[in-house]
Amino acid sequence: MSTPALEVKDLSVWTETDAGRSQLVDGISLSINAGAATGLVGESGCGKSMTALAIMGLLETSGIKAKSAGILINGTDISALTRVQKRKVLGRDIAMIFQQPGNALDPVFTLGQQISAVCRRHLGGNKKHSRQTMLAALEAVGFEHPEEIAASYPFQLSGGMQQLAMIAMATVCKPAVLIADEPTTALDSMTRGLILQQLKRLQSQNQTAILLISHDLNVVRHSCNDVIVMYCGRLLEKADCKSLFSGPRHPYSAGLLSCIPKILATRPPPISAIPGQVPAANDLPPGCHFAPRCSRAEPQCLQSVPGLEPKHGAQVACFRPLS
Amino acid sequence: MNASYITRRLIYGIPLILGVTFISFLLMVYFGPDKTYELLGKNPTAEQIDEVRHSLGYDQPFLLRYGGYLKELLTLDLGLSDSSGRPVSAILSQSLPISLALVLPGFVLGNLFGLILGLMAAWYRGKWLDKLVMSASVVGMSVSFVVIIIGLQILLCTPYGLDLFPVRGWQVHDPGSYLAYVTVPTMALVMVTLGYNTRFYRAIMADEIDREYVRTLHAYGAAPSEILFKHVLKNSLIPVLTRIMFSIPFVLISGSLLLESYFGIPGIGLVTFEAITSGDQPILKAVVGLTGVLFVLALMINDMLYNVVDPRISKS
Amino acid sequence: MRQNAWGRLKSDRYGMGGLIIVAVFAAIAVCVWSGLLGQSWSEVSGERWESAGLAHWFGTNLLGQDILQRTLFGTATAFEVGLIVTIMSTILGTTMGALAGWYSHGWPDEIILWLTGVLDSIPFYLFAAAIAFALQGKPWAMHLAMIITFWTTTARIIRGEVMRLKQREYVEAARAIGLPGLTTVFRHVLPNTYHILLVQATIVFVAAINTEVILSFLGLGIQDGVSWGLMLAESSLEVLSGHFGNFIAAGTSLFVLLMGFNLLADALQDALDTRGTSA
Repeated sequence: MSTPALEVKDLSVWTETDAGRSQLVDGISLSINAGAATGLVGESGCGKSMTALAIMGLLETSGIKAKSAGILINGTDISALTRVQKRKVLGRDIAMIFQQPGNALDPVFTLGQQISAVCRRHLGGNKKHSRQTMLAALEAVGFEHPEEIAASYPFQLSGGMQQLAMIAMATVCKPAVLIADEPTTALDSMTRGLILQQLKRLQSQNQTAILLISHDLNVVRHSCNDVIVMYCGRLLEKADCKSLFSGPRHPYSAGLLSCIPKILATRPPPISAIPGQVPAANDLPPGCHFAPRCSRAEPQCLQSVPGLEPKHGAQVACFRPLS
Repeated sequence: MNASYITRRLIYGIPLILGVTFISFLLMVYFGPDKTYELLGKNPTAEQIDEVRHSLGYDQPFLLRYGGYLKELLTLDLGLSDSSGRPVSAILSQSLPISLALVLPGFVLGNLFGLILGLMAAWYRGKWLDKLVMSASVVGMSVSFVVIIIGLQILLCTPYGLDLFPVRGWQVHDPGSYLAYVTVPTMALVMVTLGYNTRFYRAIMADEIDREYVRTLHAYGAAPSEILFKHVLKNSLIPVLTRIMFSIPFVLISGSLLLESYFGIPGIGLVTFEAITSGDQPILKAVVGLTGVLFVLALMINDMLYNVVDPRISKS
Repeated sequence: MRQNAWGRLKSDRYGMGGLIIVAVFAAIAVCVWSGLLGQSWSEVSGERWESAGLAHWFGTNLLGQDILQRTLFGTATAFEVGLIVTIMSTILGTTMGALAGWYSHGWPDEIILWLTGVLDSIPFYLFAAAIAFALQGKPWAMHLAMIITFWTTTARIIRGEVMRLKQREYVEAARAIGLPGLTTVFRHVLPNTYHILLVQATIVFVAAINTEVILSFLGLGIQDGVSWGLMLAESSLEVLSGHFGNFIAAGTSLFVLLMGFNLLADALQDALDTRGTSA
């Protein structure tokens, strides 16, 4: 087995306020191989975005605390780097695209200026060289007239074009890892397809490892090789896509899947919902976080925390997984 | 930005200019001192009174007199000073450069330091540097301009202090003497404006730093200096520019008024002050009218600058 | 929301400090007004330029008047100017702002905006002098000048708030049941602006005191009685010959009171303005 492109070991994220300690991410680990795409799914607020930001080391200035036993990109631990060293890595070996590209781009600089800046910063070279690289990156994501896009300001582009431009920025240095945080949530279904197409291209052409964060299960189903299900800061199930969507092992995963409305010609079944509510991060139940809402819970579930165990080809954190 | 845009802005400014000149006219000329009796001797006859009033234009209808005032302003035919007899336009053109030389360094430095301190405080928001800068700002805001001026004078210009600089006056003939006379007023100006400026700029920068594009910049490895000085600064240019444009008239007139009357510097502020206390109407009319017009011009220039600076405004 | 705000205010140490300072000074002003303190401010009770001692805690000025008495009286002057200007300009500003906001983009709005633009374009100290002229030096000329120019900021703020609140549902509801426009504004919209008004009022109070000091310093301010501005004006000549009594007394009192107000204004802003910007 070769070294995975991205390996996260025992990552935790928390805050401490007057209201107590809020555990946002609780000791999770994951790994993604080069050229593979893993989807990280879960409800809003389960800690997906925090995970992404913590991997990138972007939480330092915000007062949210993070620690891990290692965040390795192709074997190199970036969590131990100094701030200056980390700046060399971000954008070059690992890059991130965001949910609202319109807000994530600087409104007073053109796309060309912003992408060229990333080129120059990590790849060096003179202006002409970085301009060519930038235009090539824009062309690679599908823009027929990259010079026009390069001369445009973010507000002049549609949401889909903005996201494509962001992908160009993220991939101009051909990073080993790309984190996509809800990249298509703000877009309509047609543009969604374009974006996902680009992600697939990156996987096959550049062998980029992709961590795709989404609360939209359909997106993950069609774009990813593997899926990780997250709830209240913990990973509940890890499996490859086919297995999860045909036969989920964790009761929560099953609940998520059953929430997807199915449009049928005949009278559709009622939409089921998982009973109860997601607990607040500073008031998490002991034991398995999902136990209070789980129909299969036993007393043991409320007291001790199940770890991820390999069961039937997937990894499940449950004392009574489905089979 | 094309001709029709400029014309529109100019047209928009006209009601403002009319309003300002109207109020100045009302207060200065209409309610101002009645000069009739100054020009007459003792026991004037009714005819003599009428004659003088006619020559002064007092018997003309209100609107006609206002029109005359407007004409004077437009043609810069500002008459002669009551107290010295010299032409008002000559007085103004002589004193204005002095005021600029006096006020400009303090204005520039006050805003520059305020910007830098505000940036630093916003970047390190919540940390000790921020708290220090903010506390110092509150203290700065609480000291009256008057106290600062007198205090600095004691400290720097008198034997009770360091006695480094001249107490008052403006004998400027070379860079050395310029420094000698401009330093204390500049320090006073910086001290009085720094607190306000810093707080204002800090608020703006703090808002900008919270924006998502700053997170993107971090995510792509940009250094703090690049983030702050290239991106945040450019994005906050509009409120910064607005602030600077709108504080120019204030600082120029009011700042120079106090500084010049206190330090005896013959700039436009002192001229105005002496005109106020001696009731020299022609000068007062001219100064109020012209500053009003200047302010409106500043407003329009500011709007036009928006277009240049922010692509969102010019392109949409 | 108000209970929460008071709680937050109480826990802000600097804010409470500011409040206490202002309260102390206000108490002094009340004592002066009711004849308990500072009554002998014009009495020549000592030698000229006595230094601080038992008879005169702060010493005496050029004419032999007790500086402490004058400082106490100055407190009352500051509060008198501050209160009159703040209350009147707030009332005027709120009314104009409410009208402009309610009829936004209509002709009342255009006129009021034009008026604020004109008033802001006139250099203040010249305007104050002109008003003093026009009123032939009546004592309240200064107050009037300040009221006429200070209402514009309040009006702009209220206008913005009214325009914002106009879109809220309860306003639509009031309109739907046929309440006349102005009643709706005054009964339903304005009460929601109290917190912003309070913050703005403290800022105007500070501006009024500062302005009085500068006007009196220039000789355009109060005509009778004494104020810290007049004391500072006296001191400007005295300090060159080494007599610092007036300067220290007036300067320090002014600084402490302004500091108190600024701290209070900051704390009020943090506690009341839920959209808060600075902190």
